[in-house]
Amino acid sequence: MNIKELKLLANNNRKRIIDMVYLAQTGHVGGSLSVIDMLTAIYEIDVNFTSEKRSKVVLSKGHTTPALYAVLNSKGIIKDEEMSSFRKINSRLQGHPYTGTIKEVDATTGLLGQGLSIAVGMAIAKKNLNDNNNVYAIVGDGEMQEGQIWESLLQAAHYKLDNLILIIDYNKLSSYNDVNESMNLEPLVTKIKAFNFHTIEINGNNMEEVVNSLEEAYKIKDKPTAIICNTIKGKGISFMENNPKWHTGKISEEEYEMAMKELKEEEDRINNE
Amino acid sequence: MNNEMICLRDKIGEVLCEFASKDDRIYVLDSDLANSLKILQFQEKYPKRFVEAGIAEASAMSIASGIASEGQIPFYVNFAIFVTGTAWTQLRQAAYANLNVKMIGTYVGMDNGPDGASHHANEDIALVRTIPNVKVLIPSNVKELREAIKIAIEHQGPVYIRVTRDVVPDVEFEEESKLGKSKIVEDLGNDFALIYEGTSAAIAYKSFETLKEKGYKGKLINIFSVKPIDEEFINNLASNVKGIVTVENHSILGGIGSRIAEILAQRTNHAPIAYVGVEDVFTESGNSTKVKEKYGLNIENIVSKVESVMK
Repeated sequence: MNIKELKLLANNNRKRIIDMVYLAQTGHVGGSLSVIDMLTAIYEIDVNFTSEKRSKVVLSKGHTTPALYAVLNSKGIIKDEEMSSFRKINSRLQGHPYTGTIKEVDATTGLLGQGLSIAVGMAIAKKNLNDNNNVYAIVGDGEMQEGQIWESLLQAAHYKLDNLILIIDYNKLSSYNDVNESMNLEPLVTKIKAFNFHTIEINGNNMEEVVNSLEEAYKIKDKPTAIICNTIKGKGISFMENNPKWHTGKISEEEYEMAMKELKEEEDRINNE
Repeated sequence: MNNEMICLRDKIGEVLCEFASKDDRIYVLDSDLANSLKILQFQEKYPKRFVEAGIAEASAMSIASGIASEGQIPFYVNFAIFVTGTAWTQLRQAAYANLNVKMIGTYVGMDNGPDGASHHANEDIALVRTIPNVKVLIPSNVKELREAIKIAIEHQGPVYIRVTRDVVPDVEFEEESKLGKSKIVEDLGNDFALIYEGTSAAIAYKSFETLKEKGYKGKLINIFSVKPIDEEFINNLASNVKGIVTVENHSILGGIGSRIAEILAQRTNHAPIAYVGVEDVFTESGNSTKVKEKYGLNIENIVSKVESVMK
């Protein structure tokens, strides 16, 4: 898939996110829209569901299930008719990722801070099993305030897990506040580099930069890579961008129409590139 | 019962090595206590399957989850207060996914006497048994430890094994341990049932001997499988004996006494029950035996509770 096709797929995944959260009238839309470019690229480039041994993705910022389910829907793993059941009773589509109902979900998460450690365990086991696939941990910036993250940063570097790629979705907003006002993470890249990670800082909503950063990470040996993705919460929907209100919330019919119109315009724009 | 006294904790590494020699899915995770926990021999024999996580218990538990996600069988061995307490939400998340993680908690209850109340794990049974999917086993001798680890390996899902750091009489019951089954250690009659969890085996045996000498004819029961628990067995017991006393190296809140009461409280008629264990208090430093005696685990207390429920 080339960059243009990846951009179109990510845009379609944005439509899926808006659809799900609109139909459910609940769900975390802002952080799903900020992470979707990277998530789309990872699954397209490196996750092969037909292989028994394959790369794994731990969505540690588990509240952004709309992004994960959008990707799995694009892969045909979640059927179109299931998408309206998100967060409803008797659904496979739990509010946070749950391996018990969807086997292609690689880790049960939701309690912030745990996913990077889970990925460390997967990466250690994969090395022992001579499985050359990768493990991705997708962590939110607010989540970086969790103590367990820093435990697992130590461990990932200690074990030189070059099959582990940490993605930080740095959209600068946590549940209601500027993440660095609630607890300052800066200088974030310097800190992670000091933990003996290879670091790459990119615009995480730019597909060229996303793909290039992954290609770079695959070449790194003897240390884990962290890709710090500067992103925009609510990216792609003008009235949601950088607005803390859209961490989680209901989308009205009018807002839904506006959002879908913007995504259609973006689709046309990409097609004309 | 004049058996040799042995420290069950000392056997953890040896037994894990036995199984690991036949099953290369078995891993051990450590948090800088391999020496205290006697699991260094595992590290020496199987360095690739020994994961030193550092003093980072929460992350260690989640690493175990990740290893289990790749089809392996990790045993996270640590002090009970850390593996069930410090890492509780990580364990809960692993259990929610029904991951094949195994926890061995030692230095349970007041075993670690001198370290004091901060290190006394008097809540670990309560902490783990409320989590869906988690099985809870408490061996009382080396044979049961080996059987508990075997059950844990064969069972697909999270298992917590509570292993005493204290000494226990090295008895061997013929009966094989089973998930969901308790054991009748001695059956002299229906005056009472004394039910203990494995880490308080020594004091339970001594108290049973004293009761025997006093002429009472009761039953000595090793609960072994706290979860699942053999409800039918407990119900039958409560229909036949005059009274039940539970003995646990744990708080009386949320432990085995509570569990048995949860079963019996659903009935109109059952034998009265009394609890021996730590009352709702924090303990203190001291020689382990002295601390246990002071906080309820003494022969006089057990005998008097048995006599009270028989009235």
